[in-house]
Amino acid sequence: MRLVRFRLRQGRGRARKLRGLIELLAPYRWRVFAMFVALVSATAAALAPAPLAKLAIDDGIRRGDVGALDLIVAAFLVSALVYAVASYAQTYLVGWVGQRALQDLRVKLFTHLQQLSIGFYSRNRAGVIISRITNDVEALDQLVEDGMATLFQSGLTLIGVVVILLVLDFHLALLTFLALPILFAGGVIFRIASADAYRLTREKIAAITGYLQETLSGIRVVRVFGQEPRHIEQFHGLNEENRAANMTTVNLNAIYFPMVEFLSALVTVEILVVGGFEVINGNASTGVVFAFIAALNNFFDPIQQLSQLYTTYQSGMAALDKIFELLDEQPDLVDPPGALDLPPIRGELRFDEVSFQYGVGDDAAYALRDVDLVIPPGQTVALVGATGAGKSTFAKLVARFYDPTSGAVLLDGHDLRSVTANSLRSQMGIVPQEGFLFSGTIRENIAFGRPGASDDEIRAAARAVGADSFIAALDEGYDAEIGERGVQLSAGQRQLVAFARALVADPRILVLDEATSNVDVHTETLIEQGLRRLVAGRTAIVIAHRLSTIRGAGRILVLEHGQVVEDGTHDELLEARGHYWRLYRDWAEQAAA
Amino acid sequence: MIMTVLIPLLTGAAINSIRAHDRSALIVYVVAIAVAGVLRLGLSTARRLVAGRVSLGVEVDLRNRLYEQLQRLELGFFDRQQTGQLMSRATVDLQSVRFFLGYGLIFIAQSLLTIALAAVAMFVLQPGLAALALAPVPFVVLIANRYGKHSRPALQEAQQRIAELTAEAEENVSGVRVIKAFAQEERQLDRFKGSVQRVFDQQLYATKIQARYTPMISFLPSLGLALILLVGGRMVIHGSLTIGAFTAFYAYLLMLISPMRTLGYMLSAAQRATASGARIFQILDRSPRITAPAEAPALPDGSGRVTLSGVGLTFEGTSRPALRDIDLDIEAGSTVALVGAMGSGKTALVSLLPRLYEASTGSVRIDGADVRDVDLVSLRRAIAVVTDDPFLFSATVHENIAYGRPDATREEVERAAQVAQADDFISSLPKGYETRVGERGLTLSGGQRQRIAIARAVLADPRILVLDDATSSVDASTEQEIKTALHDVMAGRTTFVIAHRLSTITLADEIVVLEDGRVAAHGSHDELLEESDLYREIVEKGMPDQVFMTRKAAEAVGL
Repeated sequence: MRLVRFRLRQGRGRARKLRGLIELLAPYRWRVFAMFVALVSATAAALAPAPLAKLAIDDGIRRGDVGALDLIVAAFLVSALVYAVASYAQTYLVGWVGQRALQDLRVKLFTHLQQLSIGFYSRNRAGVIISRITNDVEALDQLVEDGMATLFQSGLTLIGVVVILLVLDFHLALLTFLALPILFAGGVIFRIASADAYRLTREKIAAITGYLQETLSGIRVVRVFGQEPRHIEQFHGLNEENRAANMTTVNLNAIYFPMVEFLSALVTVEILVVGGFEVINGNASTGVVFAFIAALNNFFDPIQQLSQLYTTYQSGMAALDKIFELLDEQPDLVDPPGALDLPPIRGELRFDEVSFQYGVGDDAAYALRDVDLVIPPGQTVALVGATGAGKSTFAKLVARFYDPTSGAVLLDGHDLRSVTANSLRSQMGIVPQEGFLFSGTIRENIAFGRPGASDDEIRAAARAVGADSFIAALDEGYDAEIGERGVQLSAGQRQLVAFARALVADPRILVLDEATSNVDVHTETLIEQGLRRLVAGRTAIVIAHRLSTIRGAGRILVLEHGQVVEDGTHDELLEARGHYWRLYRDWAEQAAA
Repeated sequence: MIMTVLIPLLTGAAINSIRAHDRSALIVYVVAIAVAGVLRLGLSTARRLVAGRVSLGVEVDLRNRLYEQLQRLELGFFDRQQTGQLMSRATVDLQSVRFFLGYGLIFIAQSLLTIALAAVAMFVLQPGLAALALAPVPFVVLIANRYGKHSRPALQEAQQRIAELTAEAEENVSGVRVIKAFAQEERQLDRFKGSVQRVFDQQLYATKIQARYTPMISFLPSLGLALILLVGGRMVIHGSLTIGAFTAFYAYLLMLISPMRTLGYMLSAAQRATASGARIFQILDRSPRITAPAEAPALPDGSGRVTLSGVGLTFEGTSRPALRDIDLDIEAGSTVALVGAMGSGKTALVSLLPRLYEASTGSVRIDGADVRDVDLVSLRRAIAVVTDDPFLFSATVHENIAYGRPDATREEVERAAQVAQADDFISSLPKGYETRVGERGLTLSGGQRQRIAIARAVLADPRILVLDDATSSVDASTEQEIKTALHDVMAGRTTFVIAHRLSTITLADEIVVLEDGRVAAHGSHDELLEESDLYREIVEKGMPDQVFMTRKAAEAVGL
C-alpha cells in the first residue's frame, strides 16, 4: 500500500509540469489559437462524410431527388476540401508549435545548465546530462506531435458522441457510461503499475548515452588496452537492461489496451441485450436502438485512441519528470540579487581567513585552511607545493569555481560573492590543466574568450606564445579544423593554442594551472618569453613547476596541507633555509646527477 | 484483426435478429460477440506482446551491432567524428526506428488489410462501382511515392541536425570548465540556439512536406466516395441498382476512410524511420580500415623487438606526411628515448606500434610479425601506452588500474600502484582504492592521473611500454622513483619514452632524434652529443630547466 501511495505521489507535481509546458506555449498564443481552430475544423470535417452520406441516401437517393443528391455531393466535396486544408494547417501548426516549444525547452535546459556550478558537473555524468537535452526532449516530441492531434480529435468526437447517445436514449446512455468508471479505475491502476517502468526507461537510455559518451571519449585507451570485447559485453548488458525496462511497458500496454477493447465488446453486448429485449418487448423503438448501437462504435473508437495516447503520455511525462528534475536543480553559485558588475579592476587580490572543504560535514578534509594574504596588483605569484597541497583549490577559489567554506576572497575590496560571475570572469584569464579545445578552427579557438578579436590580434597572440610557426605549417593555417577536443593537434600544440586563447582574452588577472608541462625545448623558450609578456602588468597566479617560472615570479607561496607555510621571493626563501630551500637543494642535486 | 472485422458483422447480425424479434438468435449472437471479444482480448494481447518483443529485439540488435562496429572502426574515424554525433545515432535515431517498428508497422498492416478486405467485398458486391471507387488508389500510391522521395532526404537532414545538436551539447557539457573560465556562457548559448534553430527550421521544412502530401492522400479517397454517391445514387434513382445493395456497398466504402488517414500519417512515421535507419547503416556499412585478417594468429612470443622499415604515415585529410622513411630496429629489452620538437612525429611513431593508425608505406614488425598480420587484441594487449593527459574511466581507482586485466587481485593492483609511486596518495584518498575517480568521481590532479595511468600500464604486463610524456605532471623526484621501479618491471621488455627532460633521456639505451617526421639521428647520448648538432642544441638549451620543483612536501620537510 505504501508503494501504491508512493507511486501515486510520483505522478503529482505533474500539474505543475504541464503548467511548465503551457508556459512554453504562451509566447505563441496566436499560433496556438490558430492551431486549435485548425484542429476543430479538421475534426469536424473528418466527421462529416458519414452523416452527409446518410443524408444523401435518405434525402437524395431514396426520394429520387437528383438535384438534392448533387447538392449533397457538392457539400461532401467541400467537406473533403475543408478537411484537406484544415489538416494541412493542423499538421503545419502542430509541427510549428510543438517543435518551437520543444526547442525552447532545450534552450531553457541549456541556459539552466550553464548556471549550474562546476560542482554539479563533477557529480553527474556528462552523458546523462546530454540525454536530458536530447533523448528526453525527443520523447516529449512524440507526445506533442501525435498527442495534440489525437487528444483533440478523439476528445471532440467523444464529447459529440456522448451528447448524441444521451439525446438518443438517456437510459441506454447511462448504461453505456457504466464503462467510464471502470476505464478510469483501469487508467489509475495502469498509471500506478507503469510509473516506475517509464521512469526506468528514461534512466536506462540515459545510462546508455552515458556509457557511449564515456567509452567513445576514451576510445584511445580502449584500443590501446585491447579491451573492446569487455566494453561490448558491458554495453550489451546495459542494452539488455534497457530492453527489460521497455519490456515492462510493452507488457503493461499489451494488457491495458486490449482490456479497453474488450470492455467495448462487453458494452456492445450489454446494450444489445438490454436494448434488444426492450425492442422485442416493445418498450423501445427499433430506430432509436439501431441508431444507438451505430453510434456506440463512435464512442469506443476515440476511447481506444485516447488510451493509446495515454501510454505515450506516460512515457512523455516520465521524460518531463527527468527534465524538470534537472530544471529544479538549484544553481549554488548564483549571483546574489543586486550583485555588482565588477568595474575594470586593478587586480588586488585578498584572501581573508579563507578555508575550504570539498564536500560537507565535519569529517570533510580541509583543502585550504586559514589562508590570509594580500596580492598587490600586477604581482606574479608562483604556487609551489606537493600534489594535494591546495594549489588547484587556491586557483579555483580565485576563479570562483567554488565559494570558500569560511572567510572571503576579495578582489579590489569586492567580495567575489557580491559580484556577478560574468563580470569577474571576463576580466580573468584561466589556463586550466587540460587545454580543452572546442571543435572548430584554430582561429575560433584562439578567439574563444573574445569573439570580436581581430585577425591581427589573433595572430599577434599566436606569435607571442610561439604558436604561429606550427599554425603556418598547417594546410589551412588559422582556418584549419582541429577536430573534437583538438585531436588533430599534438599535446604541445593544444597547449599553445590554449595559451594564445588566454592571451587574446587580455585578462587583468591570470590563473595558470600546471600548463607549461608538455612542450619541448624550443617551444618552451618561446612560451617563457610569451608568458613573461602575458603576465606583465597583470596579477598572475601560477601553479608553477619550472624553476625559471618560479624564479621569475615576484613572489612564491609554498603550500602544504592547505596552508601557506612560506611566502617570499626566491632569494628570500633560499636564505630562510626552509621548505623551499630544501626543495631547491633536492632539485640541484638531481640536476647535477 | 479478423476479430475486429468480425465483431461489427456479428453486431449487424444481432441487429437483424432484434428486427426479427428472435430472442434465441439474439442471445446466440450476443454470446458470440462476447466470445469474439475474449478471443480479441487474447489475440490482441499476444499481437502486442510479439510486436513489442520484435521491435525491442531489433532495437537491441541494431544498437549492439552499432556499438560493436564502433569498437571495430579505426581511430582515424573518431578523429573526424564528434562523439555527440555517434551518440545521437545510437539513441535518437534508433528510437525512431523502434517506434515505427513497434507501432507503425502494425497500423500499416492493419490499414492495408482492412482496405484489402473492404475492396474485395466491394468487388464481390458491385465490380463496376468498386472499380470507380478505387480509381483514385493508383494516384494515392503515386503521391505516397513522391512524398517519400521528397520527405526522406529532408528527414535525414533533420536527424543529422539533431545529431549536430547532440554534439554541441556534448561539447558544452564536457568543456564547461573552459566556458566558465572565459565567461563565454552567452556566446555558447547563442551557438546552441543556432543549432536549435537549425533543427527547428529543418523539422518545420519536413513538417511542411508532410502537411502538403498527407492531406492529399486522405483527400483522394474522398473523391472516390463522392463519385460513388454521384454515380451510384443516379443508378439507384434510375432503378439499375437497389437501395439495399447500394447502402451495403457504401458501408464498405466508408470503412476505407479511417485506414486511409492512418496510412497517410503512418507513412510519415515510416519516412522518419527509414531516414534514421539509413543514418545507422551509414556507420554499419562502413568497413573498418584497420582489421586483422580472418583467423589471424596471436602475436608470437618474444620480448618486444620492434622493426620499422621504410615507414611513412600521412594522416587522412592532411597533405604533409607525419612520418617518412623511418628505418629503425629496436632490440628487445632496450629503452628508447624519442626526442624532437613538437609535431616532429614522436607520438605518430609510437601510435603505429599498437596499430592505432596504419602506416601509409613500409612495415612495422614486432618480434618478427608484421602488425598487419596478427590478431589486433593480442597485439594491443602486448603494448601499453601512457599519455600525458590520460583518460580515466568513471570507476574506482582499483578498477581503473585493473583496466587492462579486470581479474587482477588487490595485491597485484597495489603492487602496480607502488611501481607508479601512486600507492601513497591512493591510500590517503577518502576510500582508498575504492574511491571513484574520473567523470562523476573525485577530481585528481594531472600528476595523480598520470601515476594511475602508469600503474594501469604496468599491471597490463606489456611486452612494450610506451611512455608518451607520461610523467610531465609528476614532480622530479617521484619521476625518478617511478623510473627506478619501472626499470625492474620492464627488464627484458622494451620501453619507448617520449620526454623533454634530460634526466629521462640520458637513462635510455638509445635515443632517436626526430625532425619533421624523419629520423635525424640515432644513437646513445654520448654518440649523439658528438654526431648531432640538433641533439646538442636540444641538450644545451635549457633541458635541465625542465625539472620540476614540486617535490613531495612531506619529504621535503623531512618528516
